[in-house]
Amino acid sequence: MYRNRRFIVGALIIVVAVGYLIYTGVRETSVYYLTIDEFLSRREAVAGEGVRVAGRVAADSMQWNASTLDLRFRLANFAGSGGVDVTYNGVLPDMFAEGRDVIVEGTYAHDGVFRARTLMTSCPSKYEAEVPKT
Amino acid sequence: MIELGALALRLALVAAVYAVLAAVAGARLRRTDVVASSRAAAYAVNALVVVATAVLLRALLQHDFSLEYVAAYSSSTLPTQYVAAALWGGQQGSLLFWTLLLTTMSTVVHLQNRDRNQALMPYVTTTLMTTAIFFLALTVFVTDPFERLPVPAREGADLNPLLQNYWMMIHPPSLYLGYVGCSVPFAFGMAALVTGRLGDVWIRTTRRWTLFAWFFLTIGNLLGARWAYEVLGWGGYWAWDPVENAAFMPWLACTAFLHSVMIQEKRNMLKMWNMVLVLLTFTLTIFGTFLTRSGVVSSVHSFTQSGLGPFFIGFLAVVIAVSVALLYVRRPLLRSENEIDSFLSREGAFLFNNLLLVGIAFATFWGTVFPVISEAVRGIKITVGPPFFNKVNTPLGLALLFMMGVGPVIAWRRSTARNLRRNFTIPIVAGVLTGVALLGAGLVGNYYAIVCFSLAAFVIATIVLEFYRGTRARQALMGEPPATALVHLVNKNRRRYGGYIIHVGVVLAFVGIAASAAFRVEEQRTMRAGDTVEVGGFALTYKGMRQADNPHVASMLAEIEVARGGRVIATMFPEKRFYKRQQQPTTEVAMRTTWREDLYLVLGSYDQESGLMTLQAFINPLVIWIWIGGVVMVLGTVVSVLPTAAEQRALAAALAVEERGLAVWSE
Repeated sequence: MYRNRRFIVGALIIVVAVGYLIYTGVRETSVYYLTIDEFLSRREAVAGEGVRVAGRVAADSMQWNASTLDLRFRLANFAGSGGVDVTYNGVLPDMFAEGRDVIVEGTYAHDGVFRARTLMTSCPSKYEAEVPKT
Repeated sequence: MIELGALALRLALVAAVYAVLAAVAGARLRRTDVVASSRAAAYAVNALVVVATAVLLRALLQHDFSLEYVAAYSSSTLPTQYVAAALWGGQQGSLLFWTLLLTTMSTVVHLQNRDRNQALMPYVTTTLMTTAIFFLALTVFVTDPFERLPVPAREGADLNPLLQNYWMMIHPPSLYLGYVGCSVPFAFGMAALVTGRLGDVWIRTTRRWTLFAWFFLTIGNLLGARWAYEVLGWGGYWAWDPVENAAFMPWLACTAFLHSVMIQEKRNMLKMWNMVLVLLTFTLTIFGTFLTRSGVVSSVHSFTQSGLGPFFIGFLAVVIAVSVALLYVRRPLLRSENEIDSFLSREGAFLFNNLLLVGIAFATFWGTVFPVISEAVRGIKITVGPPFFNKVNTPLGLALLFMMGVGPVIAWRRSTARNLRRNFTIPIVAGVLTGVALLGAGLVGNYYAIVCFSLAAFVIATIVLEFYRGTRARQALMGEPPATALVHLVNKNRRRYGGYIIHVGVVLAFVGIAASAAFRVEEQRTMRAGDTVEVGGFALTYKGMRQADNPHVASMLAEIEVARGGRVIATMFPEKRFYKRQQQPTTEVAMRTTWREDLYLVLGSYDQESGLMTLQAFINPLVIWIWIGGVVMVLGTVVSVLPTAAEQRALAAALAVEERGLAVWSE
């Protein structure tokens, strides 16, 4: 029994190590994941913090400068209303277009502009995410 | 024709239900004729699913756009090989394909065990067919692959362009073979629990199946990485996407199981743990299918909107509840007959290897489902990205790499100081020297990578030492020349030396992953024709844009001249394609691979009016060694899966004991 107890201690060390890594990992790397409507209702509270927002690129809102790679568009909700202005610098993902669902990750500033660090098109499950029939 | 497919699926469902009922009744009533009829029903299920799959494949190849599935995932201009691949390109088809693989494996299992494992087989049938019922019910009642459109479409919507790639043709089948292969050891595990025959027969019977499943899971993961690397064009091969994690988690659990069964075979220990692992592996395969199929985590739509989600969760809940109940009931029989004597023993090393693998699986699981959990608990979705997974899994992975060097050579039961000295002096020296040499060569900055290279040298040294000593011993004992001795050495114990070869492959993959993660160079530049950009010793000159066009795709190719040290060494063509049917652009990476590094070029964007082109260039060191590691793992698995005479005898002996027990039991 004594030997087994020693083993339980050894196993516990690993379990605690894994738990600790997960705990600190979550604390240091997690960001809020909000829909655009949730974001709009609490945008002042999350200003300055890293946040991930899902929405739809509003029609006729996309301004793209191919020489400076500057992008500006309006992230609206799925009904196409409301929204926030988003800026981004970099190459556009292939699937990015007006009317598409996208996820932006970055920070919102009090000047009313969301500066996106990353731009994800809404099927990051590259294989195939189910599209519910609505 | 289409009606035939739909009918076949319905009949298959009925036959599968019969197979389950007859198997249980036959076993309970000890009626061999009833058990035989359940076996026949299982064969029939397989045959019917083959018919259904053939009907769907035929509809695809004939471009029958009156079928919703065909219209949604193929088109008349899609190249034929991708039309066939569309069989698993969409949801309904992939579930049907799952069922096809499952029922085919069930047939093979039943044929292999016609005259063996009489007590276990009815419950193996029950488990496999219950799983088949679940998938058949999904295809019959929830997502019918044979659903017709109200009005036949004139043309199909085409397969997602990202899937129109040869890696994508072999990646899903390989992964599915791995997923489905895991249900065989699980079925035998369940049968062992139900019948209380918890010796090592079920483990020896399924060893090859476990290896088979592990093999295809490994290949499936690597092919998926290769596909992402080549097709997605962001410069890397692994992003900790939920879909990738879905394939990675069962692999981890299966790897743990593969190792811990050895402890049960040799020392009659860890019986309970093995059951838990086989259950974990199976549930993770179902969970993985669920993740890829429901989009529960990645989707912006909430979980309840997903049509398949509740069914999968329900099935998982049933599987877990039944298995845990069985484990609880059989708890006394699962008690170990031996104890672990010392930390410094092979049993101890394997146990820690197992805990690390399960730890990585748990961390990955936690990170993957975290948004769902946080939404349920706190009412708000919180998500973690790649930094989380890298941060948590890197130290665990390195610890695992270390155990890979220790586990196979440390003594059973208890190591003496002499044993440790003999086995580990040279490898430790090799590891330390490697680390010092790398630091001396100025490779500072990323300590994880240096630790990884040192550990890699340590592991390789233990393996080389094993081969060397084994060969020398045979040379001395049998008077054989070195090459013959080496071949005989491996042949005598294929499982062991095949395992070492697999480990070499894993080490190579570790090295490639560490190097490309730590020392990658990345540059993005907007250029005019004639401009040159310097990236990590390469001079890249943009010569101009070329265009190509066919009915299926239009493409633009940037001509990039690559020079090093003033000499032109290659011309590369990163490309943007535009798939006309889907109105979607895709990126085609241009790559130049050497043993040292990949030069990876992406055409970021092109502005027709100004003539400005944005080029993204990546230099990814040592990536090729990941794929080479994969090939080595394949070779190692082939070596270790070939049966040896000694092993056949061990299985025969275990079966004989079992049959004698059975004879006593039926008197």
